[in-house]
Amino acid sequence: MSGEPPALRVNGRAVALDDVPGDERLLDTLRWRLGLRGTKEGCRSGGCGACTVLVDGRGRLSCLALTRELEGSSVMTVEGAADDPVGRTVQEAFVQEGAAQCGYCTPGFVMAVTGLLRGRGDARPTSEVLRGLGGNLCRCTGYVAIARAVERARQELR
Amino acid sequence: MSSVRRPDAEAKVRGAVEYGADLAVPGMLWGALVLSPVAHATVRSVDLSAARALPSVVAVGAADVPHIAGASGDPERRPFPEREVVYRAQPLAAVAAPTLALAREAARAVRLELEPLPTVADVEAVFPEWPGPGGPGSPHVAAHVLARRGDVDRALAGATTVVAGTYRTAGVCQVALEPHACLAEAEDGRWKVRTSTQSPFGVREDVASLLGVPEASVEVEGTWVGGGFGGKGASLLEPYALLLARASGAPVRLALTYREEFLLGRSTLPMVVRMETGVRDGRIVARRVRLLLDVGASLPGRDFATGYSIGFLLGPYRTEVFEVEGYAVRTNKPPFGPHRAPLAPQAAFAVESHLAEVARAVGVDPETFRAQHLWATGGETPFRQVVGPFGLGEAFAAARARAAAWRAQRPDGHGVGVGLGFWSTNTGAGGEARLVLSGRELRIEQGEREIGSGSVSVGLATVAARRTGLPFERVRVVYAPTSEAPFDSGVYGSRTVGALGRAVDEAAVALLAEIGRRIGATGPVTLALDQDRLVARNDGRSTPVADLLTEDERASGGVRTVGRHYGVAPAIDESLVVDGSFYPFQDFTGAAHVAEVSVDPATGAVRLIRYAAFHDVGTVLDPAGARAQVEGGVVMGLGTALTEEAVWSDEGRLLSDGLVDYRLPRIGDVPPIEVTFVEGHAGAGPFGAKGLGEPPIVPVPATIAAAVRDAVGADLTELPLSAERVARAVKAPRPCGSGDAARPRGASGDRR
Amino acid sequence: MAPPELLTPTTEEGAVAELVATAPGTVAVLAGGTDLLLDLEERRLEPRRLLSLRRLPWNRHAWEGGGLTLGSTEPLSALEEDPQLPVRLPALAQGIAAVGSPALRLQATVGGNLGRSAPASDLTPVLLALDAEVELLGTAGARRMPVDRFLRASRETALGPGELIRSVRIPEDRPSSAYRWQRVRPAHDISQIGVAVAYAPRERRWGVSLGGAPPRPRLVPEAAAELHGPRPPEAEVAAASERLARDPALVSDRRASDEHRRRLAAVLCTRAVRAALSPPVAEPT
Repeated sequence: MSGEPPALRVNGRAVALDDVPGDERLLDTLRWRLGLRGTKEGCRSGGCGACTVLVDGRGRLSCLALTRELEGSSVMTVEGAADDPVGRTVQEAFVQEGAAQCGYCTPGFVMAVTGLLRGRGDARPTSEVLRGLGGNLCRCTGYVAIARAVERARQELR
Repeated sequence: MSSVRRPDAEAKVRGAVEYGADLAVPGMLWGALVLSPVAHATVRSVDLSAARALPSVVAVGAADVPHIAGASGDPERRPFPEREVVYRAQPLAAVAAPTLALAREAARAVRLELEPLPTVADVEAVFPEWPGPGGPGSPHVAAHVLARRGDVDRALAGATTVVAGTYRTAGVCQVALEPHACLAEAEDGRWKVRTSTQSPFGVREDVASLLGVPEASVEVEGTWVGGGFGGKGASLLEPYALLLARASGAPVRLALTYREEFLLGRSTLPMVVRMETGVRDGRIVARRVRLLLDVGASLPGRDFATGYSIGFLLGPYRTEVFEVEGYAVRTNKPPFGPHRAPLAPQAAFAVESHLAEVARAVGVDPETFRAQHLWATGGETPFRQVVGPFGLGEAFAAARARAAAWRAQRPDGHGVGVGLGFWSTNTGAGGEARLVLSGRELRIEQGEREIGSGSVSVGLATVAARRTGLPFERVRVVYAPTSEAPFDSGVYGSRTVGALGRAVDEAAVALLAEIGRRIGATGPVTLALDQDRLVARNDGRSTPVADLLTEDERASGGVRTVGRHYGVAPAIDESLVVDGSFYPFQDFTGAAHVAEVSVDPATGAVRLIRYAAFHDVGTVLDPAGARAQVEGGVVMGLGTALTEEAVWSDEGRLLSDGLVDYRLPRIGDVPPIEVTFVEGHAGAGPFGAKGLGEPPIVPVPATIAAAVRDAVGADLTELPLSAERVARAVKAPRPCGSGDAARPRGASGDRR
Repeated sequence: MAPPELLTPTTEEGAVAELVATAPGTVAVLAGGTDLLLDLEERRLEPRRLLSLRRLPWNRHAWEGGGLTLGSTEPLSALEEDPQLPVRLPALAQGIAAVGSPALRLQATVGGNLGRSAPASDLTPVLLALDAEVELLGTAGARRMPVDRFLRASRETALGPGELIRSVRIPEDRPSSAYRWQRVRPAHDISQIGVAVAYAPRERRWGVSLGGAPPRPRLVPEAAAELHGPRPPEAEVAAASERLARDPALVSDRRASDEHRRRLAAVLCTRAVRAALSPPVAEPT
């Protein structure tokens, strides 16, 4: 293989992966190597969704992603969501609907919803978007305000 | 519904809020715990040498904890046991290293020599009969409670119908999204820890006691908390992190994995309760309740659960002749700890299910029967407390109307049920609040942390705003470590608005009085915002607050007042108590819920169609926040009702140690939830508010059980209402009046 | 222990060569990672090398030869998005939809699921009922075997050393097929019963498989034998369900009684056959 491997981009900035061990999770690279601790560590087994980020525009569980496998990909974390028109809309919808209580699941939900609504997402019915959130747990809100925030964001994006 | 913009919402949606697990400082070491692989064993040795031989690793064990005079080798008074392991995953040592991987390797290098002992994992194995071998004196018993009023045997003998039933409920786990985590430093006799906790001052007290150091030498700073639900109400990791910090001379971060949370968490454990109720002429004439409560490895004499929850097992119903007896039984599981409304949802399930059976046995509609016996304001509880302003009757009436409407429309295979829940908020040890008024804002200095509900970040500010007249946005709640903040017991028991809120209100009243004095006010004084400056208004005049400050106040931040609320616990009639401790109710709040379910009779699967909650809240201070509490509590209750169950092996191993097996409600499980507030029955909180953190979960399992029963015509006596239990109940529904359900009068006391 | 080396070959031959070059037991194959990464975290496996299949041309599927060839490393979500799947192989669409969560399906693969051979897999009972074959690639080239022979027990398959799962071949469209499942009760392993049924139009016979009962999902020919022709009457459906319920694998344990498991097996079988005989629906129930 010749030339430099394509970089991993995180929130628009290229990140060097030379020092990253082969088995390092994207979650840990983000939180401890890059200091981006907005993405939360939950179950570390793909069951809670707290670690959700966008990889190439789609929601992805960063606890189950090996950083070195993502060379050439583009990652958006919650820290970058405000710079994205869909992300920003989702964040504001969450605030308006009181969808963040303790807030621990919130970054994961914000990114998951952003991933679902981007592209053709806002044309999908809310019920389909909500089905896509089946892997994100919340213990505080009962999901009710979150569903309202999703609907609000969809309306805003039309 | 109007709502304020939560001040912490913006940061949370940006991921800009720092929780315990996010803390990081240069030179920080990563901690790991060494957990016992067996549930019950004699500790022969814990050999740290191999761990310590690894580069840059520190390890601490029992020998490193300052000796505390008089302490025995018990699990709760010392961080590490010296003689005996009493539950699986009990920490035996702790290590710290520059990386987490190295810390884990060091933890594995610790050599444990444990001699297994027989394990007790099931209370009914220890107590197959009532009162069981040895009764109250048995070594398996952590606590015994017994209270009597009147002559139960005689009253039961005089009843025309006696109904008995046994109810079993499972252990449930809090599963906050955020695991426990903290960052500790120890230097020159000072112990500092930043931690995710519901009670910074509680942690300070625990740490001082566990490490044998003065409280004044311990500083605790709470972080933002990613959910507590009772699981973060006491210290857990902090003593270990502090010991490691002292041993290493470096800051130490210690956090639990999800699996460790399940294994180490202190939460609700299984309960078996036997109820017997006698009825004559449609009225309850006597009740007997027998409770076996698994309290895990709790110490003898240290039990709040049994005496606390047994009161809830009588329910909000008039009972003048009763006997209640409970055993807190020790097993080899982690000690019992508080969950959201500890044991109240389980108690409500038992009471509501039982009274419905009783009603059917005497040919009365269960809703009518309960309404006939329900407490009313000014009435008397079984333990002879006066029932404070109580809106459950009104809530129940509204729920019944909703249920009737839903029943009228329900298709085949659907059921509709109503469940009642009673809760008493817990004042705790009390708290203080300081208000600081400058020319631009009103600051609230207090000792709690915001754990999610908004009771702190919104609730306290709402109280101060409402009392003073200021807009919410100009009231700011601030957080500080225990060395600076005024004392408060912590966030639990739904006490924040009612207890700390009262302290805030008291300080606000004092503030208005002081301002009034300074402006020579006649009549009421309020504060207001006028073009970005705060002003004091009285009798048509408006004075900028800035003009009222002294030099010192200008320098130190503003006018200061203090409010305090330490509560006065009302009393039960102690003459009724034969043994143990019973707890008075400090407040009276209730909720009536309605559920429509559809049941698949072939598989027993239950699906929620719709849900309605009617809550006696006194006064709604923050409509959006209040609604959010009900929605969240109801959904948590769905888990308790249907899918959440902690399962242990006979060897005391927790089998449900992850999200795959301990199944929480997910977004697709949630039905439409209608929320209605019943106001006007004033609680003890400011403006008559009642705490709302816990009441919403209490009626849920009872309500769903009632709806399932309506759908399949069979009684359910165990939680959770798993598909197998529901399917089994459908196959063999107990006809009313046969077998265990009812005995004609004259039958003698039965075996449990 | 040093962290494992990550290898990402770009050709099949290169992948097999790397596999063979590594001492047995010291290399772990990485497809979607949803199981492997948990094994690494829990230290069930401590490989020196991770062999990632990400760059191999196995991440696609093709409708060919009257059936479906599934590349082993295609994420399940991509299959889910194929509008032909619920029409031509509804059982497979339903099995896939039952796996994990939408986010997990962005990573999970058929190959990974098959290789893990979990007793409670949602995919393997479906593949059994569809008479699927697995294609394995090793130094000696490719070989095929029925999935029924490939699966042995939990984490145990007929995969030889130096072999990789290359593809899964479903021989024909089976529009009359369905998969129904239900959790038994929370417990230590994912505990559930799943039933897959499929009518094979060319051979004019049914396949019925039972999933969730250890040691592994199995075909139950005695139950299938009760169903005749493309539209078996209710009496045959009842007989097949009753026969399935008598399967000896349905035992009592602390998660559920045998009675409940049998009841579920019978009900799910009846519902699966009825669903198989209905016009295709977009969503599984």
